[in-house]
Amino acid sequence: MAYVAARGGEGAIQNAEALYRALNGPLDAEFMGRLEQTLPYLIDRVMGEGSLYAPELAALAIAQTGGDLYEAVLLLRAYRSTQPRLAYAEPVSAETMLTVRRISAAFKDIPGGQILGPTLDYSHRVLRLEALSSPLPDGARAGVREADAPAPPSPRPVADWHRETGLMAPLRNEPITPAEIPDLTREPLMFPASRSHRLQALSRADTGGVLALGYANMRGYGGIHPTVNEVRLALAEVELKHPVTGAVFSAGRVRYSQAEVVTEFGEQEGQKPSLSLGFAATLGWNEVKLIAASMLDSAMSLPEPHPAHTEEFVLMHTEPVEASGFCIHYKLPHYVTFSSALDTLRKARANADEAEDPVGVGK
Amino acid sequence: MSLADLTFPRQDYSYAFLDAFAKRELRRSILKAIAIPGYQVPYASREVPMARGWGTGGLQVSLALVGPDDTVKVIDQGDDDSVNAANLRRFIARMTGVKTTTDALSATLIQSRHRIPEEILGEHQVLVLQVPFPEPLYQVETSFAKTKEMHADAEYSPMWLSIYESLVRYNTNTHGADYPVVVNGRYLMAPSPIPRWDNPKLHMAAHLTLLSAGREKRLYAVPPYTEVRPLEFEDVPFEVEDQRGWTDESTGTRNKFMNEIPLEGGLSRYELSDSDYKRKLETQDPKLGTTYYNHNGRFYIEGYLRGRNR
Repeated sequence: MAYVAARGGEGAIQNAEALYRALNGPLDAEFMGRLEQTLPYLIDRVMGEGSLYAPELAALAIAQTGGDLYEAVLLLRAYRSTQPRLAYAEPVSAETMLTVRRISAAFKDIPGGQILGPTLDYSHRVLRLEALSSPLPDGARAGVREADAPAPPSPRPVADWHRETGLMAPLRNEPITPAEIPDLTREPLMFPASRSHRLQALSRADTGGVLALGYANMRGYGGIHPTVNEVRLALAEVELKHPVTGAVFSAGRVRYSQAEVVTEFGEQEGQKPSLSLGFAATLGWNEVKLIAASMLDSAMSLPEPHPAHTEEFVLMHTEPVEASGFCIHYKLPHYVTFSSALDTLRKARANADEAEDPVGVGK
Repeated sequence: MSLADLTFPRQDYSYAFLDAFAKRELRRSILKAIAIPGYQVPYASREVPMARGWGTGGLQVSLALVGPDDTVKVIDQGDDDSVNAANLRRFIARMTGVKTTTDALSATLIQSRHRIPEEILGEHQVLVLQVPFPEPLYQVETSFAKTKEMHADAEYSPMWLSIYESLVRYNTNTHGADYPVVVNGRYLMAPSPIPRWDNPKLHMAAHLTLLSAGREKRLYAVPPYTEVRPLEFEDVPFEVEDQRGWTDESTGTRNKFMNEIPLEGGLSRYELSDSDYKRKLETQDPKLGTTYYNHNGRFYIEGYLRGRNR
């Protein structure tokens, strides 16, 4: 089938999609349920980048695209864009979220304690080949030993300690009307971006893209040397105000994570040297993305960031749907623009020939 | 009477896919764009069920404008049957039930990537061009924050300089498609990657042209009967692609924009890029319209092109 077929375009694209589906396995609700249960971090990543908390739909998106994550994120975003914004949730705070993991690299011990929670950080990265022959009892509680004393369910952020000791500027607790918070999905990102837009953009940024730019920063492209003050995985209630009674109620619970990094000598003009905070948060649990993103938040806040860490460079190039879509768009025919480019090239070549042969002997 | 009687029956998607809020925002942005010719209006740019970079900006504008009485044509590289054009047309039709056509003259709404049809469009028509890079200054300045200031100050000297530099270096203007234009004597504008052949068609055009970049979230307009001038020096006039001597194989037509098709042995053959114009010629369609360039390659507005194709 030709790429640009005479009178065949529509049939060709329908058949191409049918062939794609024919080569993948069948889809059913049971498989999607298993995906949700066994691949929660994948579901989280897609929900975070898709900025839609819907594990069932994320599982469907992953399954329907054969695991092509950029396609899956696009599916969620395109679905999300048709949904109305019904209400504004109450702010989520460390004091209310059910924290399952909270660690700090800045201190040996912290108020509330280091809570390791669920992690593979200290596991031996060996393939559990036995799973290929006999099922492993994962998912059951077996093997998990209860702590002697339960960890505090909602420890305060480590940064609170810095603020109390005056090492960090206090939080500005100004009352905000939710409707006045700029919404990235309803208004375009402009530069310099508002704080809300920056954090929203990082929240739904591409994990790999944020990691690449963040890693460049960590390797020394840019002048910050951050310390991970806190990484937190939690379950947060989505609390809404009843439109009639005004009573606050929970509409459900979401997996949520946030990270904060601190950098020394984040000076504000006319003030003593202090610590400055880089912050990132996202739906789902995604530690790699948040550590990189919170470091980028710090890097972007420098008065003169490295060119690869200016706000515009970071936020424009870590947008997963836009970056992946534009990348694959180069598959589209470009023969008109190419022909225009060839035209100028041929003319420049003809001019070069004339210049080499000013009296026209070679003609 | 129950609450159910008062509500509309549930639909999975709104007419033309976008919800009313998205359409309202788009229509307001379009009106602003028309009021300030060539000015890039930022808009939210919702995700739509197409990949970004595949015409999502043009699609959003088309979906915000399309109504039951419209007839829609979609082309890519001048071709109605290009796979992505076919896909966009199928989507618009599926979400609206609207009539579609390949005829440039009977369409009321034409969405296009990289081409403007050869036949002269009329006042009853809207042309929506898909835009990859809305910022004409991006070749000389990558930061949007800075180009916004440059537009405010009409500070376009780096662009003039880049043309001057190509003249010095190559003795010719090396800007290919997406050749920058000045709209209404004020804003520098990227006409989208149409060939230079199509640039003059925007000047004092009877139709409305809307240009929309989904990924970059900007849209802008050339209202009907608006002056559109290419950046050109007095002594080095702007020139369209030199395709003199290229003849469409099946119709013998010359002096329309052609596709060059490579043949074995370093040879080429040529065919008309505007596929439906070609069809009309081949079938001697009575609806064949007047073209922007005549059979000698002269542009229909005398004196606009100062180089070849006057």
